[in-house]
Amino acid sequence: MKKEDIFEIIARNTCEVIPELEGHVFKPSDRLTELGANSVDRAEIVAMTMEALSLQIPRVELFGAKNIGELAEVLYEKSKSV
Amino acid sequence: MKNQNQSELLITGVGITSAIGQGKAAFTPALMQGQHAFRVMQRPGRQKDTSFIGAEIPSLSYPERFSKRVLRTASFSGQVAMVTLQEAWDEANLAAVDPSRIGLVIGGSNLQQRDLIQTYENYKDRAHLVRPTYGISFMDSDLCGLCTEQFGIRGFAYTVGGASASGQVAILQAIQAVQTGQVDICIAMGALMDLTHWECQALRSLGAMGTDRYADEPAMACRPFDKNRDGFIYGESCGAVVIERADFAMSRQIKPYAILSGWAVAMDGNRNPNPSYEGEVQVIRRALEQGNLSPQEIDYINPHGTGSTIGDAIEIKAIQDCQLSHAYINATKSITGHGLSAAGTVEIIATLIQMKESRLHPTRNLENPINSSFNWVRGQSVPHDIKHALSLSMGFGGINTAICLQNAK
Repeated sequence: MKKEDIFEIIARNTCEVIPELEGHVFKPSDRLTELGANSVDRAEIVAMTMEALSLQIPRVELFGAKNIGELAEVLYEKSKSV
Repeated sequence: MKNQNQSELLITGVGITSAIGQGKAAFTPALMQGQHAFRVMQRPGRQKDTSFIGAEIPSLSYPERFSKRVLRTASFSGQVAMVTLQEAWDEANLAAVDPSRIGLVIGGSNLQQRDLIQTYENYKDRAHLVRPTYGISFMDSDLCGLCTEQFGIRGFAYTVGGASASGQVAILQAIQAVQTGQVDICIAMGALMDLTHWECQALRSLGAMGTDRYADEPAMACRPFDKNRDGFIYGESCGAVVIERADFAMSRQIKPYAILSGWAVAMDGNRNPNPSYEGEVQVIRRALEQGNLSPQEIDYINPHGTGSTIGDAIEIKAIQDCQLSHAYINATKSITGHGLSAAGTVEIIATLIQMKESRLHPTRNLENPINSSFNWVRGQSVPHDIKHALSLSMGFGGINTAICLQNAK
């Protein structure tokens, strides 16, 4: 799967968790916190994305991503190594 | 347990969601006409090569202001709790009350079993992917979180458990919270207990839930107090009532449904599901005594009446021996099914609605009453102005509760 596809999955899941974002044009620099996601929402978005990618990695390895673009990047790297 | 100020406690708001209707406007005519929704249950997780009969809520309508974000992760029990509370909240105009003076007691435990089994079945082979929100939603107290967040309640909120008496136990706790001045308003809720095929099977194997006897005639299966009953039939439901002091209600110009005139709880000292004649007599007598009521003053009884073979027989004997067989009696569960944790509150609400309507609802399938000397309301509703009502609840583990209501008209 391409990095852009993973970005789209994150955007879609973010919209599902925060329906108010429907119509929002997601950019790689978007930060989940600034989009209104609380800690539970962020955990949920990450879990939904891992589920979509069938990833089995410790969540700690995803720490450090500062925005959606970086999260897509980390998930892309992990998905390549599975 | 004598309460000198008992007449000052009122019920001023009511919310109801059941298989026969969401909200009083739908529930009331269905109740009076004895409409039912019994069939082989369809909700995912309710059957596994089985055909358990029950009554399921056909659809829920949500107020506009409910956040889709919250509803997405709320369990069915949580969603039903929120819509039910909304009705009671609006009726008692609680938006105008200081939120730090409002409390919430939710009756029921292990309410969200169907969510649990569905989560397990979905993630049993990939546990690392289980949704983080399940870490919140599996707890019964999530219903407290959902409701207090949605309605801005800032007093207190907790859950209480009393098996099938949970709904009345919640009311008893709410009474105490208002009586002691902990809050000015307390909402008591009997929450929806969302059964799976596991609980249905175990309850049937216990001899509590009805058998396959009426598998081809689901409408006939729920028959409290009838000679051909063979167990309770489940019915999804949830009820909420608002309790406050008379002076507080008066200052807010809120018209009450009824006065809470007497109440009691009595334990049998028995862990098992079997009923106790002594416990039931005890709780009825205590509630009447606390309300300064003679048995002759009670003119309507809303019994526990599940359709249990032993339970109904014991209850009828207890009512008779408490000199109450003159009173009108019907069985709400014959129409709604048994809401388990919700039942105690739902049946208080059914009683309040009958008071307001000056009419008693029929009892479905009561073709051959187990005791014909009682004043049964059977095939049709009957006009009657309730003055004093008695409502009973019993639960596994030897809990008996009773609440007396005085018409506030």
